[in-house]
This record gives sequence, C-alpha cells and structure tokens, in this order.
Amino acid sequence: MLKITDLKYRYKSIDDVYTYTLSVKPQEIVAILGESGSGKSTLLDLIAGFLAASGGSIELDEKELAALPVEKRPVSILFQQHNLFEHLSVQKNILLGVSRTLKSSREDVAKVQEILKEVGLEKYEHTLASSLSGGQQQRVALARVLLRREPILLLDEPFTGLDAKTRMEMLDLVQKISRENDLHTVMVTHELQDCERIADRVYLMKDHQLTEQ
Amino acid sequence: MFKHLSRFKSALLPGLLVSMLLLGFAFVLFFTLFLAEDPASVTQLDVRVYSLLKFTLYQAFLSTLLSLAVGIVLAWSLAHQSQFKGRSVLVALFSSSLVLPTLIVAFGLIGVYGRNGWINQFSLSLFDHSFGSYLYGLFGILLAHTYLNASFAARALLHSFESIPKEKYKLAKSLNFTIFQRFIYIELPALRSTLLSTGSTIFLLCFTSFAIVLILGGSPSYNTLEVAIYEAVRLDFDIAMALKLALIQLAVSTLLVVFSSSFRTGLSNLKTGELHIPWKEKKHITAVQRTVIVLFALFFILPLLVIIVDGMGADFGRIVKEELFIKSFVTSLILATVSSLITVILALLLSDAKRYFVLQTRLADNVFSKFFSILVSFSGNLYLAVPSLVMGLGFFLLSQNYEAPMLFWPTAAVLTANVLMSMPFALSVLAPVMQKTAQRYDKLAFSLNLTSLQRWVYCEYPYLKSPLGYVFALAFCFSLGDLGIIALFGSDEFSTLPWYLYQLMGSYRTSDAAGVALILLAITLSVFILLPKLFRSRVAENN
Repeated sequence: MLKITDLKYRYKSIDDVYTYTLSVKPQEIVAILGESGSGKSTLLDLIAGFLAASGGSIELDEKELAALPVEKRPVSILFQQHNLFEHLSVQKNILLGVSRTLKSSREDVAKVQEILKEVGLEKYEHTLASSLSGGQQQRVALARVLLRREPILLLDEPFTGLDAKTRMEMLDLVQKISRENDLHTVMVTHELQDCERIADRVYLMKDHQLTEQ
Repeated sequence: MFKHLSRFKSALLPGLLVSMLLLGFAFVLFFTLFLAEDPASVTQLDVRVYSLLKFTLYQAFLSTLLSLAVGIVLAWSLAHQSQFKGRSVLVALFSSSLVLPTLIVAFGLIGVYGRNGWINQFSLSLFDHSFGSYLYGLFGILLAHTYLNASFAARALLHSFESIPKEKYKLAKSLNFTIFQRFIYIELPALRSTLLSTGSTIFLLCFTSFAIVLILGGSPSYNTLEVAIYEAVRLDFDIAMALKLALIQLAVSTLLVVFSSSFRTGLSNLKTGELHIPWKEKKHITAVQRTVIVLFALFFILPLLVIIVDGMGADFGRIVKEELFIKSFVTSLILATVSSLITVILALLLSDAKRYFVLQTRLADNVFSKFFSILVSFSGNLYLAVPSLVMGLGFFLLSQNYEAPMLFWPTAAVLTANVLMSMPFALSVLAPVMQKTAQRYDKLAFSLNLTSLQRWVYCEYPYLKSPLGYVFALAFCFSLGDLGIIALFGSDEFSTLPWYLYQLMGSYRTSDAAGVALILLAITLSVFILLPKLFRSRVAENN
C-alpha cells in the first residue's frame, strides 16, 4: 500500500504550505481533481522526488521513500506530453526504461515486442516516435511503464488533448495495466469524466489540502 | 475566402521594388567584375590561388568547429547554472560580441596575447620568461574567430537549452540518466537545428572574415581570399589578380549560401530565461560548469579590459583635436546613422513583402508565391554571397568607368556595404514579428476596416517598436565598426574611425590607437545597450 501522511511542501513562504494525506492500494486508481495551479502536480513531483518535501512521509509497503533520490524511487510517471525521445524508434524508447545504454538482450527485445502487442502497437516497433499520433505516443510511454514494472504509476493529465474516443481507450488501457500489474496509480486530472470512468476513489485539492470525495 | 489578403497588395510593390533593386545591383556588380576579366583565366587556378582557397576554407572550418565546441560547453554550463551570480550580465556581455568591431577585438587580443601583451608581461615578471610572438598566424585567427563566434553560438544554443521541456529532464532523472546520456538523448537533439544554422552562419562569417586575418594573419601564407583581394588592389595594384580572386570568392560564397540556405537562420534578439530544473546538479558537475563560465568570462573580458586600461592612458586632449580624427569621427557617425535608417526602412519593406508571399503560400500552395518569397529572402541576404571586398572591387571598377564627384563612389560603396551587411540580421529580427502580427491581427484589422496607417499605429508599431530599436542599434554598430570596404576606399579625404584606427596601428602609434579603440568601444557598447532601451515596448516584451 502507498501511504502518504501529512506530506508538506512549502512553496514560497512559510504560510504557503501544501499538505497531502492519502493512501492507494495495489490495483487501485486514485484521482486527484482540482483547479489549475491548485497543487495537484506538486503532489506527483513530491512522490517522484523531483521536489523535496518539507515534512511528512511517503511509504510503500511500510518502506519510507521520502529520503530516496529520484532514480531510486519505484515510480513511473506519464506527463501530458514530452514522454518520448522523438528522434528514437518506438523500440528504443521503451528499452530506455531498462537499459540506458540501449544495449539490449534478445530477451529484452522479445519482451518489448510482447508489450507492444499488449498496447496494440506491434506494427510500430521500428517507427520513429515523432511520426506517431498523440494517442500512439502515450501508448508507447505506457508500454515503457509496463516494461519497468515499477509499483507506483503517476499520471499527470496524460490524456488531455486527445480526442474523446482515444482518450477513453487510453483510460481503459491504464485501468487494465494497473489491475493486471498490481500498480498503485495516482492520476491528476481536471476531467470529471476520467474519474468516473476509471478512478476507484477521488480526492479534491482545494485550499492547499486534499479532501477525499 | 481570403480576400482580405488583397489589402496587403498595396504594401507589396515597394518591397518587391527594393528586392529587385538589390538583385539588380548584384547583377551589375557581377557583370562589372565578369566583363573586366577574361572568363577563361578565372578557371586557371595557379598554385597561389589554390592555396589561398584551401587556407580560407581550412581556417573557416577550424574556426567553426572551435566556436561550436566552446559555444556548446558554455551554453550547457550557463543553462544548468541559472543561479550563478552575474549570469544575466555575462549573457548580455557575450551578446555584445555580435557588434564588437573586429578591429577592436584584434587590438584587444594583441594587448593580451601579443609580444608585449599582458600574458608575456605577467610571465616575464614572474618567471623571467616570454612566450614571444605566438599570436600571429593560424593561432591568432582561430583565437579571434572563437572569441567573436563562440559567444554568439553560446547565446543561440542557450536559448535552445532553455526551450527543452522540463518534463524531458524529469524523465531523464527518473530513468537515472548520467550527464552524458542526458546530453545525448535530450539536449543534443534539441540543439541539432540551432547547431546547423549557427554553424553555417559562423562558417560563412569566417570564410569572408577580413579585418581579423589582415591584422592577425601575420604572413602571406595565412592570407584568405578577402585579404588577398585587398592586397592585390592596394599593395600590388594587380587588378587582374584581384578580379580573379573576387570571382572565385563570389562563386564559392554563393555556393555556400545556396548549400546552407535550407538550415541557416539569422539572428534575433533571443530572450533567455531560466532552465527550471527543481534539483541541483552533482557537486563535481557544478564545479565544472562554474569553471567553464569563469574561464570564458575571463577570456572574453580581458581583451576589453586591455582596451579600457590602455585607452585610459591615451592623450585624449590631443587625439580629439586632430583633424583626421574629427573627420573620421563625423564621417563614421553620419554613415552609421544614414545606413541604419536605410537598413530599417528597407528591412520593413522586404519583411512586408515576404510575409505577403509566406501567407499566400500557406493558404494555397502557390508556386509563384513560394518563388517570390525565396527571391525576397535572397535579396535580403545578398551580403553573405557577395562579401564586402568583392563588392568593393565592383565599386572600384565602376568608379574607374564612370566619373563622379570625388567622394561619391566611396560614400556609395560604404553605405551599400553597410546596409547589405546589416540586412540579414535586420530581416531575421523583423520578419518573424511582422509575420506574427499579421497572423494575430489580420482578420480583426480587416473586420474593423482599418486603413494602412491605423493598422500600423494600432497593430504593427506596438509590436515592432522594440525590435526596430534593436535593429537600428545593431545596424549602427555594424556600420560604425566595419573595416571592410573602407580598406579599399579609405584615404585622408575619406576616412572612418576603424580605418583611422587601422592607420594608427600600422604606424605604431600604439597609445593613440588605444585611445581611439576605447572611443570606438565606448560608442559601440553605449549604442548597443542604451538605444534599445529607448525603444522598449511592454507589448513586445510580453510576446
């Protein structure tokens, strides 16, 4: 279980403090709703380690994560855009999740092919990421999440800007991946529709605080 | 459907006329050169011509490579050290390399690295050892070109670094990339287009570099085509040789311009911000980045400091009373003011014509519009294909064939060269702004039925005010500091400040030269820093 307790982030002054408390079970998808600038994405940055918390704890199965550097945290993250290296092929983009030198074994390549099938992109293995559509690019990013098998999945409004049909397909894919791989998924969104479709629980970010709905 | 675009047509004619005038001028120049020489002899490349061409290309290639390498490292360091104290001042100072007169740079470098320069003096006083005269030759040329162009490259590359989305850096961090992998996978792809465009511009600038090679080349074995043309005209009076070299230079420059036109972009007053990465770099990386910034700052500031220190010791009371100084000073200011005004007006007209054709091409794939758009761009970038010494030789021949009042041809030659020299930069600043304004306000201006004047006052000027100030300052500084075509026409009757300074340096009046160099530096930097402030516009800054 991912447990965030009284996690604090001081923004500009002592009075400008964001406080987060929430829990996410394996296979569960928790959505964070809130207005732009309310501090939703800050929570993801804190969990991923991009920002340092000024207090509180982040525990995964009772193991403290807050002190770990970014690269040691068991986290995969998906942004709204810029999730891929446009000049690399789909295969290389996914492989970067496990091999930074892009030296891959046959097993790795086979695994990538298997995962591409899972996300419906088996035909695009050697296609340049830049020539894919927005929806396909996000599928590739999700494929990398699958290859990395990190237990925490953070989604920072990753499907904003996609057409309605692709958006629903992507949400269903996230749900499937999350359930089948025991992921703890935190999704930041401002779309109620997204929450209704896949979220198990919803929190609202307002006045620097998270409140469960 | 797009009838509103026809409103542009009234503005099209002046721009097209300017474009045709410039291209016509290039043709006259070309035929003047071509007809003056037996075409068959141009193709006969003797050993000297061949070695001149080889060295010109070689030094340009090495200078480009060095400038880009230093520029990348410097931009990388500046991008990742956004909290470095004095960073914004340094970035602004490095930007001034664009307008620093090349003669001043050469003078400053001699003051630091020359036989009696600071380094040798320092070494003598500490270790009783002098490195002698190591500056002149390929080393000096590369040093000066790197000085001028690495900071220019760094400025453009810094902008590219700062345009990388922060998500990419977050992704790299979460995938545990090393600094090298981060550079290869994220930063280098983002820099690629800027590297190509900046690299080809630097190559062209170094290929046609004149003053630096003239002063720091040292011996004929380090001559470039431009310097050889100058020597053939002024020292050897071998016009046939000068013509042959000019035609070769023209052919190679045109080839280079055509070859690089697909990826070469001009300059603009790039805004720099900060790279917002929420974590700090590792300590040893931070140390490397800070060392790079400090070392380059020293490399950049020392020659300027030499000019200031040496210049302060000059007898200004006497210098400013000298007749030739007064004449050069007044001529320089008048020529710079007039050529900047002409540059601004012509650049506005050309940008207006260009945007009409670009918009036409976007609305419908019109072959004629595309052709005219390229034609207008080419006419504005003529200087890159026709370097000033080649242009000067053309004017020299015209002056031999057509009699005119004594100062007519020199004035026409210098003014034309100054305007054409500034035009590529002026266009690269003004054209995108005018394009953007058209896209933003076209429909609104049309629906409100605004007249051309109202459109200019309400839509164009608020956005153009600040870029216009920048272009004027840029053109003024370019003109003020240029030692190109004046080298062919300079005399006691017709002299500019750079020509006067060159004469002083040549006659070893070092103290007076330092004083004049300081005056030139002070005017250049004051104009470049203060003039754009007078044209500051809040509207333009927010866009």
